[in-house]
Amino acid sequence: MKKIITVLLTGLLLVTVIAGCGAASGSTASTGGGGKAKILLIMNDVTDTFRGQLADAVTSAATSSGATVDLVETGGSVEMEAELVATAASKGYTAIILRPSDASTALQMNVAAGNLPIIYVNNQPSDEHLTADKYIYAGSSEEQAGQLQAEYVLKKLGNPSSLNVIIFEGEQGHSATIGRTNAVVKTLKENGCNATYVFKDYANWSDAEAEYKLGIFMKTGQSVDAVFCNNDTMALGVISGMKKYGLDYTKIPVCGVDATADGCESISSGEMAFTVLQSAAGQGASAVKAAIALGSGGTIEGIDYATEDHKCIYVPFEAVDASNVSQYK
Amino acid sequence: MVDAIINMHYRFSNVLFFCVRESEKERKMGEKTEKKKKTKKISTKLISYIVPLVSAMVIALVLVASLLSKSRMTEMANETLESSISNQADNIEAWLSENLQFFSTVKYFIEKENPAEGELSGMLDMFYGYNSSCPNGLYIGTSNGKLIKASKSETTESDVLGSAWYKQGITRVDMAYGGAHSDANGTTVISATGILDMEGDELKVLGADVPLDAISIIVNSGVKMANASSFLVDKSDYTILAHRNSSLVSTKLTGASSDAFLDGAYKKLSAGDYTTEEIATYMTAFKEIEGTDWVLVSYIPTSIILSAVTQMSNLLIIIGIIAVVLIVVSILYVVRRVIAPLGHITENITAMSEGDFTIEVNSESNDEIGIMGGKVTEFVTSMRNMLRSISEESEKLRQESDSSDQVSRTMYDASQAQSEAMKQLNETVDQLATAVNDIAQNATTLATIVSDTRDNSDKANESMKETVEISKKGRQDMEKLSTAMQDIEAANNELVNSINKVGTASEEITNIVGMIGEIAEETNLLSLNASIEAARAGEAGKGFAVVATQIGKLAQTSAESAQNIANLIEEVHKLIENAVGQAHASATSIQENSELIGVAVGTFDQIYNNIQESNKLIENMIEDVQKVDDVATNVAAISEEQAASADEILATSENMVEMAENITRSSQDVADNSEELAGTSHTLTSYVQKFKI
Repeated sequence: MKKIITVLLTGLLLVTVIAGCGAASGSTASTGGGGKAKILLIMNDVTDTFRGQLADAVTSAATSSGATVDLVETGGSVEMEAELVATAASKGYTAIILRPSDASTALQMNVAAGNLPIIYVNNQPSDEHLTADKYIYAGSSEEQAGQLQAEYVLKKLGNPSSLNVIIFEGEQGHSATIGRTNAVVKTLKENGCNATYVFKDYANWSDAEAEYKLGIFMKTGQSVDAVFCNNDTMALGVISGMKKYGLDYTKIPVCGVDATADGCESISSGEMAFTVLQSAAGQGASAVKAAIALGSGGTIEGIDYATEDHKCIYVPFEAVDASNVSQYK
Repeated sequence: MVDAIINMHYRFSNVLFFCVRESEKERKMGEKTEKKKKTKKISTKLISYIVPLVSAMVIALVLVASLLSKSRMTEMANETLESSISNQADNIEAWLSENLQFFSTVKYFIEKENPAEGELSGMLDMFYGYNSSCPNGLYIGTSNGKLIKASKSETTESDVLGSAWYKQGITRVDMAYGGAHSDANGTTVISATGILDMEGDELKVLGADVPLDAISIIVNSGVKMANASSFLVDKSDYTILAHRNSSLVSTKLTGASSDAFLDGAYKKLSAGDYTTEEIATYMTAFKEIEGTDWVLVSYIPTSIILSAVTQMSNLLIIIGIIAVVLIVVSILYVVRRVIAPLGHITENITAMSEGDFTIEVNSESNDEIGIMGGKVTEFVTSMRNMLRSISEESEKLRQESDSSDQVSRTMYDASQAQSEAMKQLNETVDQLATAVNDIAQNATTLATIVSDTRDNSDKANESMKETVEISKKGRQDMEKLSTAMQDIEAANNELVNSINKVGTASEEITNIVGMIGEIAEETNLLSLNASIEAARAGEAGKGFAVVATQIGKLAQTSAESAQNIANLIEEVHKLIENAVGQAHASATSIQENSELIGVAVGTFDQIYNNIQESNKLIENMIEDVQKVDDVATNVAAISEEQAASADEILATSENMVEMAENITRSSQDVADNSEELAGTSHTLTSYVQKFKI
């Protein structure tokens, strides 16, 4: 009898110890310091204004948290990205911040990364390829940009019950294109505005294409009350077209996204009506916080703007119009 | 001596009692336990303990397994459903984009060729029939309301500018799909449309109608999960584009139908919530179709997902029941094997409990049961020896107890006689105490009475003293009264004198009045004379005659008044004489009174003296009573002491009686005990003889 009890107790002890060890190894909180964190930042290029700002923000946020960060530019090569991701662990990195050239390669990147966490930035993979506290996206909610645009227009035009709307979309299939456009449509509908989309086409982020397609729209002979563009560049193209075709952009608000220097300049000179700023500094800082937390086996719980499913951190957009444009120039 | 004997008896009998009682107790307890406890087999006990335990564990196991597998199955089903819907959506998207690609190519070709309007129809002919998904080929609507189409095409459009496809087409350059609508043949189609980017002010919209049949096939038959179904909804107006139930196609989701599932789906769609969820017993997944406003909805009844879990639970329960039955059978078998030798030992012990110590136990087994057998044999041997010696001892004990019984009887008789004598003595003392108590009571009564008498005479003394005081005061008052009488007498005399003086004065007044009367008489005469004279004087004296007449009248009046006064004074005089008479009378009566008062004062003096004397007599009497009181008090105290002493004597004698009675009782007990002892030793002997040795 005594022997049986001894064996039972020993077994119980062993189980407790093993369970305890497991719990201990899993309980390293997200509050862990960034002292040992070594982050690999992969970007297709940093020549783009926003991506340049983002890379700088990541570097400065990592430095101030005591983490080291190495930037590698891939020039848009998916193969190179995949290889960098695959070898990161062996090079001693604890986390990867990745701006994928193509967001649909996310699954491939996740597999290549193995146990290393990936924080995607700037180009959001689809939700099914994100895993809580493992493969996450740090950026801004594209929906919010479209929502802010629509809310601005509704306010400016006095909550009209119907509107003739033009939407110039970016690249087909791009997360920003889909998110921003859908949000404009959804917000107008939710606010009781029965919008007629008199022209809704892709202009591939290009000002020239936007201007040209505005010319085609003019041929249709329809009237327009507001123009939404998925980015500032296209909005500037629209402004240029409106000048050419004699449309009054002071009465027909033209909205962009990104608050680029040209966009802000256009707003301050009374042409473009509205844009939204993606906070490169905020996104960079959030990406670094997440990289440090996930690199030490923690979670993104407690990081500002983390979603409940622990798959995304959405840094808020900032609305920019004539009243506050001077702060962003 | 008696005490010593009693003590000895007690000790001896106590020891014996203890022995016998213990053995009796054991016997009784044995009987009781036999009655209370029902014999249960060890196997029954084991089963009653183990079976519930095993059953509980089996139930827990089944529950845990069911719950776990339920959640895993649900998860897996979700994944399968999502993967299936994803696959379908990909197929639809691929099919759509494949066609769109074809249309875009045609569009690009037309734009590059930039033909004149007349050549457009020919160009459309080139592509007609190439794409089977678009049976009627491409067509072009112009802003002039013209419809250009392939020559073989059956496409018709009466109002180009008012048509849905044209309106959709002028909103974009890149070709894209619009909402579903019916074509001229009544087929539900979707149109891919876009503006032709060509020179010239005339707007041309390129269109192509794609019947939804192909998509319906993907939706209705492309489900990759057994028992799951799908339908396709246009989220811009919630029209059902494809559904296995063809009656639902082209109807709209309203959220107010009788179908709880469709209503639930509508709610999710209108909220823009495309997460997988259970809606009205269906596990439902949603998927947006890229490039369109469509949402694919896929669902499977939850009961199908969980049927496997139910099946598994049933299987687990059956296995559990079989396991319990097997355990019961094996317990029964093992118990039979292991416990068989216990049966023999049980029989032997049963014989032993009936007093049979002649048994022999075989202890062949090498386990605990074998050891038990050996030890029982040892126990039986030692018991046999012990019983034998107890039997001998109890015989001796019986003889001794018999003799002690006789001794105690004799002692009991003696102590009874002593007790009787003691009682008589006590009665005598009791009577004595009663007599003494009576005396004490009487003496106390006497003392009380005397004391009362003294109090009463004290009161009499005080009353007497008060009387003396009162009589003294009375005498003094009398004396004062006498003095007052004398004063009154003096005053009366004075009054008489005063009255007499008044009398004298009134006489003088009478004289004066008389004089006045005379004067008046004379005056009258004078007036007469005057009148006569006047008459003589004649006419000259006429006035004087009137005056004389008047004076005469005055004189007459004066004489009348003087006469009146004289009369009045006469009356006063009479009155004064009366008063003087009365004053004399009162003076006489006052004199008499004074004499009487003098007599009263004398009488008071005599009374006072008498009282004074009787007061002295009373004081003497009080002194005598005080003496009697002292004596009576002494007598009472002494007789009370005597009574107390008598009570003490009585109490002592009562104690003695009680002690004597105690002795009697004790000796009675001794007698009883020794009798019982004798009986018990008989019983003991008989018990011991019952054992078989």
